[in-house]
Amino acid sequence: MKKWRSVITAALLSLSLAVAGCANQGQSSGASGGDEILVGVLLPVTGNNATDGKDMQNAIEMAVKKVNDGGGVLGKKLKIEVADDGCDPQMATTAANKLVSQNVAAVVGGYCSGATLPSSGVFKNANIPMIVPAANSAKLPAQGYDTLFLINGLTPDQAQTAADYMGANQAKKVALIHDNSAYAKDLADFAKAAVEKSGGTVVAYEAINPEEKDFSALVTKLKGIGPDATYFTGYYAAGGLMVKQFKQKGVSGLFMVGDGSFSEDIIKIAGADNAEGLLITATPTAEFIEGAEAFTTEYKQTYNNLAPGPFSALSYNAVNLLVDALKRANSTDHDALKKAIKETKDFKALGQTISFNAQNTLDTSNFAVLKVAGGKFTLAK
Amino acid sequence: MDILVQTLADGLVIGAFYSLIALGYTMVFGIIKLLNFAHGDLYMLGAFVGYTLLSILNGNGSGAGLMGIVIVLLLTMAIVGVIGMGIERVAYRPLLLAPRLSILITALGVSLFLENGSMIAWGAQYQVYPLQLSHDGWNVLGAQITYTQMGLVLIAALLMLGLHLFISRTLYGKAMRAIALDQTACHLMGINVHKVIGLTFFIGASLAAGAGTMAGAYYGTVNFMMGFIIGLKAFTAAVLGGIGSIPGAMLGGLLLGMMETAGTFVFGGSWKDVVAFSLLILILVLKPTGIMGEKVTERM
Repeated sequence: MKKWRSVITAALLSLSLAVAGCANQGQSSGASGGDEILVGVLLPVTGNNATDGKDMQNAIEMAVKKVNDGGGVLGKKLKIEVADDGCDPQMATTAANKLVSQNVAAVVGGYCSGATLPSSGVFKNANIPMIVPAANSAKLPAQGYDTLFLINGLTPDQAQTAADYMGANQAKKVALIHDNSAYAKDLADFAKAAVEKSGGTVVAYEAINPEEKDFSALVTKLKGIGPDATYFTGYYAAGGLMVKQFKQKGVSGLFMVGDGSFSEDIIKIAGADNAEGLLITATPTAEFIEGAEAFTTEYKQTYNNLAPGPFSALSYNAVNLLVDALKRANSTDHDALKKAIKETKDFKALGQTISFNAQNTLDTSNFAVLKVAGGKFTLAK
Repeated sequence: MDILVQTLADGLVIGAFYSLIALGYTMVFGIIKLLNFAHGDLYMLGAFVGYTLLSILNGNGSGAGLMGIVIVLLLTMAIVGVIGMGIERVAYRPLLLAPRLSILITALGVSLFLENGSMIAWGAQYQVYPLQLSHDGWNVLGAQITYTQMGLVLIAALLMLGLHLFISRTLYGKAMRAIALDQTACHLMGINVHKVIGLTFFIGASLAAGAGTMAGAYYGTVNFMMGFIIGLKAFTAAVLGGIGSIPGAMLGGLLLGMMETAGTFVFGGSWKDVVAFSLLILILVLKPTGIMGEKVTERM
C-alpha cells in the first residue's frame, strides 16, 4: 500500500515537472505566437465557492466555443488556461504567477475580492489586462491599476439603485438596517449618502446581530417611526426573519434588501405570503435579463439542465468584451489590448452596456431591482 | 402607550424562553455547583429534534393539528431529556469529585461537540420550520399581541408551575433540595445521589428543549449556532435572579427579556446584547447573589 502511494506520488511529481517544463517552453512562443490566443481564467474551482466558480467557467467555455466556431479572432483560435484561486489570497497569487509564466494575452476572472486583490497585482506587474466579472470590492479600483477592469457594479452603484427606486416611488423617509458585516455596513453607509443626496431623510440607521432571531423590539421601534421604505443590507438568514416580523407587526412602507439576501431561501424563511412584494437590489442573473433567453437555453442544454449561476452572464460578457477589444486592437500585444479595453464604448452585452469610467469600472451600473411575486423573483417594473 | 404594551408583550415571550433555559442552569448549579455551558446547545438540540419530528409528522408541510404539536413538544422534551442524562453520565459524572475547573472545561467541550455534531447531522444552513403558527391576535391598546405569543407564554408558565410543584411536593424534589444542601450527608442517609442528579439533568434538558421547539416554531428558522448566544443570555438571567434559586431563574428570565426589548427600543438594535451583559456585570458587582439568592449555594 505504502509502496504504491510513493510510486504514484513520484509519478505525479514527475508529471507536474514535465508540465511545468512545457509551460516554460511555451513562454518563448508567447501569446501572439502560433495559431492560438491564450486567455487565462482565474476562478475558484475548488473550495466553498466552487459552485459559482464552476458556473463562471462553464459560461466562459461556452463563449469561447462560440467565438471559435465562428472562425476565431484575428484568424486564430482562442484557448483558455484555467487556474484555481480557491478564493484564497495565497493560492490566487500562485495561480496568477502560473498564468503569467504561460504568457497569456489577457485574463478573465476574479470571484472573491480577497483573492482578486493580490492576483490583480501580479497581472499589473506583468502588464497583462484582467477583466473581472464578479469581484466588486471598492478596494479593487482604488489600487489604480491600468490593467484591471471591473464589469460588475460596485457597492455605491447598488446603493444608488436602491435610492433611485425609493425616489421613484415617493419613499422619502428611509430606514436603514445592516448586520455589522463589513459588506453590509458599507452598503448601508453608501445608501445613506445616496438617499440624502436625492432629498430623502434617513429616519433610522440600525445594526442587528445576524445570529439573532427576534427583531421584535427593532420592528416595534420602526413601526412607531413609520418609514416609507426600509432597506436591509445584510444576509438572507436575518433578512427573511425580518421580512416576516415586519409583515406580522404591520410596519408601513416598502421593504427592500441588498444582494446579500438575493437567495431563494429568503422567500422560504419569510414564508411566501410575507415575502410577497419584497424588493431586492442585485445584479440580475441570466434568467432575469431581457434578451438572455437564448443564452439560458443554450447553457442548460450544454450543461445538462443546470441553470446559470449568479455570475454566468457576466463571465460570458467578459469573454465577448475581450474578443471585441482584440479585434479593435488587431493584436495580442498587452499594451494595445489594454488600450482597446479601456476605449470600449457602449459595448452591448447581456443585461448591461459596457463603457469604462476613469476608474476602469462600469460607467452605468448593471444593478437592477427585483420583486418577489407569487413566491418567485421577477424584475420590478 | 401602544409601544409600551408591545414592548412588554414581546419581552414577555423572549423572557419566557430565557426563563425555561435559565431553570436548567440554576438547577444544575444548585445541585452539583456546575455551570453547564452546554445547556444552551440543548435548547438548539430541542429545536432540531422538534424540527425532525414535525417533518416526519407532516412531510408535505400541511399543518399538524394542535394535538400533534403538543405530542411533538412532549416527545422532544423526553428525547432531549434523555440526551441530557446521557451527557451527565458520560461527561460529568466521572468528574464529580474533580476540581470545578475540570468539569467546567468539559462542559465547554460538550457544547462544541453538540454544536458541530448538529452541523454534521442537519447541515450548516438555516432550516425552515415545517410549521407556521398563526399570527392572528388581539389589538390591545394599539399593540399587536398574537394568540401564538399567549400560547407560548402559557405553556412556559405551565411547565414552570409543574416544576415548582415537583420540587416542593414530591419525594424526589425533596431529595434534590437535600443534595443541594449537603451531598455527602445525603449519601450517608441512603439517598441515591447519582439518580437524583441524573433526574435534575433530565428536567433541565427537557425544559430547554421545550423552549427550543417553541422558539423554532415561533421564529420559523433554526440553525446549529442558535444555542450559543441564548445560552449566555439564560446564564445572565439565572445570575440576575440568583443562581441556584428556581423562582429567581423564572423572574430573572422575564426581567431580562423585558429589559432587552426596552433597551433595544431606547438605544437601538446594536445595543441589545450590550444591555443584557451590562446588566450581568452590574449584578455581579452590586449584588452577586442576584435578586432572589440569599446564600448563594444553599437555595433550591
